Amino acid sequence: MDIINGFLEGVSGLLQNSGFVAIDWQNYVMIGISFILLYLAIKKEYEPLILLPLAFGMLLVNLCPGIMGAPKTEFVPELEYLSSHDIGTQSVQYAITEIGGERYYNVPEYGGLLYYLYQGVKMGIYPPLIFLGIGAMTDFGPLIANPKSFILGAAAQIGIFITFIGAIFLGFTAKEAGAIGIIGGADGPTAIFVTSKLAPDLLGPIAVAAYSYMALVPIIQPPIMKLLTTKKERSIKMEQLRPVSKLEKIIFPIVVTVLVALLLPDAAPLVGMLMLGNLMKESGVVDRIAKTAQNELMNIVTIFLGTTVGATAKGTVFLQLGTIKIIVLGLIAFGFGTAFGILFGKLMSVLDHGKTNPLIGSAGVSAVPMAARVSQKVGQMENPTNYLLMHAMGPNVAGVIGSAVAAGVLISLLG
Amino acid sequence: MDINCILAAALPFEEKVSLSMTTLLTGFVVVFSVLLLLIVMIILLGKIVTAAQKKPKKKSETPTVTAPTVTQNTPVTSASDGIPEEIIAVIAAAVDSTFGAGKARITGIKKSRAAGGRSAWGQAGVMNNTRPF
Repeated sequence: MDIINGFLEGVSGLLQNSGFVAIDWQNYVMIGISFILLYLAIKKEYEPLILLPLAFGMLLVNLCPGIMGAPKTEFVPELEYLSSHDIGTQSVQYAITEIGGERYYNVPEYGGLLYYLYQGVKMGIYPPLIFLGIGAMTDFGPLIANPKSFILGAAAQIGIFITFIGAIFLGFTAKEAGAIGIIGGADGPTAIFVTSKLAPDLLGPIAVAAYSYMALVPIIQPPIMKLLTTKKERSIKMEQLRPVSKLEKIIFPIVVTVLVALLLPDAAPLVGMLMLGNLMKESGVVDRIAKTAQNELMNIVTIFLGTTVGATAKGTVFLQLGTIKIIVLGLIAFGFGTAFGILFGKLMSVLDHGKTNPLIGSAGVSAVPMAARVSQKVGQMENPTNYLLMHAMGPNVAGVIGSAVAAGVLISLLG
Repeated sequence: MDINCILAAALPFEEKVSLSMTTLLTGFVVVFSVLLLLIVMIILLGKIVTAAQKKPKKKSETPTVTAPTVTQNTPVTSASDGIPEEIIAVIAAAVDSTFGAGKARITGIKKSRAAGGRSAWGQAGVMNNTRPF
C-alpha cells in the first residue's frame, strides 16, 4: 500500500511541477510566436544566426519559466535544519540571520540556467564582445578613402532622436523612449546594450523589433529610397575610391578610440571593442586572436546573447499594448533613419555637383552589410553598370560608429 | 515590471516638449560634432601618411618582383605551360595588390614542387595551425 501511495504522490508531484499546470495562456501564445520566429529563421533565413537562438530562448522560457528564475535565499530555522541533516559528517557553512531571537540558516536556491547566462546581457558584456568580432571582420577602407561618409552615418541616426520624441508622447518614460529610439540605429548589439542600461524590462520587445527590422531592410528601405530620389540621382556613377594604405588602416582604430573615448566615455565600451577588433585585423600581427574574435568568440557570444534575450520575452511582459507601440515606433525610427540618410546624400550630391549618388545615404543606418547591398541593388535597377557597393560601405560602417556614439549620448543623457 | 506601469508614468506636456527638444538637440549636435571631428582627423591622417610614404619611395623606383614562387626563366605569355590564364590573372592581381598597381613586373610563374609530400595549400594549413603565439 505504501508503495502505491508513494507512486501516486510521485506522479502527482510531477504533474504539479509540469508545464501544463505552471504556464498560462500568455505563455502558450508566446510559444506560438516562437514557432513563427523559428519558421522565419529556418525557412526564410531572416537573420538566422540571432533569430534562431532568440526564438528558442523564447520557447524555453515560456515552457519552463523557472529557467530564467533568479536565485533565492531560504531562511531555515537552525534547529529544523540541524534535525534534518546529519551534521556529524558535514559542516554547515551557511550564513546565519537572527530574527526575533531565533537563528535562521540562509540556505541558497540557485537560479535557472538562462538567468546566469543572461548576466552577460544585463551587465552589458555581450554587446561589446559582439562589437569586437564585428570590428575584426570590418574593412574601414571605404570610410577612410571617403571620410565624408561619416556625415551620412550621422544623418541616419536622426531617426533615433525623432522616435524618442514619438515614444515620449506615447507615454513612455524618458529611459524607455531612449531604448525604443535606438532601434532606429539598426544595430542589434547597440540596441541591446542601450536597453540593458536604460530599460531592461523592455529587452524582449526591443530586441525582437530591432532584429526583425534589420532582417527586413531589403523590404523597408527601397520604397523610401525611390520616393526621395529622382531617376537621374539614382543613376549617378561615383568615382573609384582611392587606395588606402595599411598604415592608415592601422592608425584609424587608434584615432577613433582616443577621440570617442575622450569625448563620449559612455560610447567607449562599444566603440573601443569595435576598434580593438579592427586593430587586431589590420595590424596583421595577431592573426590567431583576430580569427578567434571573428569566429569562435563571436559565435559563442551570439548563442548566449540570442538565447537569453529571447528568454526575456515572457508572455506576461511581451503580450502588452506597449509591445505593439514599440514595434510601430521601431519601424518609424528605421524609416526616418533611412530618409535622413538619403536626404543628406542628396545634399552632398548638390554640394559636390552630382558626384555623390544619394542612394548610399540609406546605408548609414548600420545593418552591415545588408543596407549597403540594398543601395547597390536599387542603384543597379536604374543603371545595371553602376556599382555602388564599396561607396555604400563607407556610410554603412560609419553608421556602426554613429549608432554607438548615439547610444553613448542616450546613456549619458538618460542613464 | 509590467509595461502598463511604465506607460502610466506620464509627464506633463511642457516637460515632454522640453525633454524631447533637449534630447533631439543634444543628440544631433553631439553625434554630428564627433563624426565631423573624425572626418577632419581622418583627412589630416590621410595627408600625413601619404606625405610620409612618398619620401622613401623616391629612392627606389619600381622594384622588380623576385618572390620565391616567381622564379621561372621563360616569360609568361600564355597558358601553354600548364598554368591556366585564370591562375595567372589571380597571381598578377595579388602582386598588384601587394606592391601597388603597375609598380612590380612579373617575369615568370613556375609551379613549385610540393614540400615534404604536401601540396602548397596543405603546407600553408600546417604553418597556420602550428605557428607559435
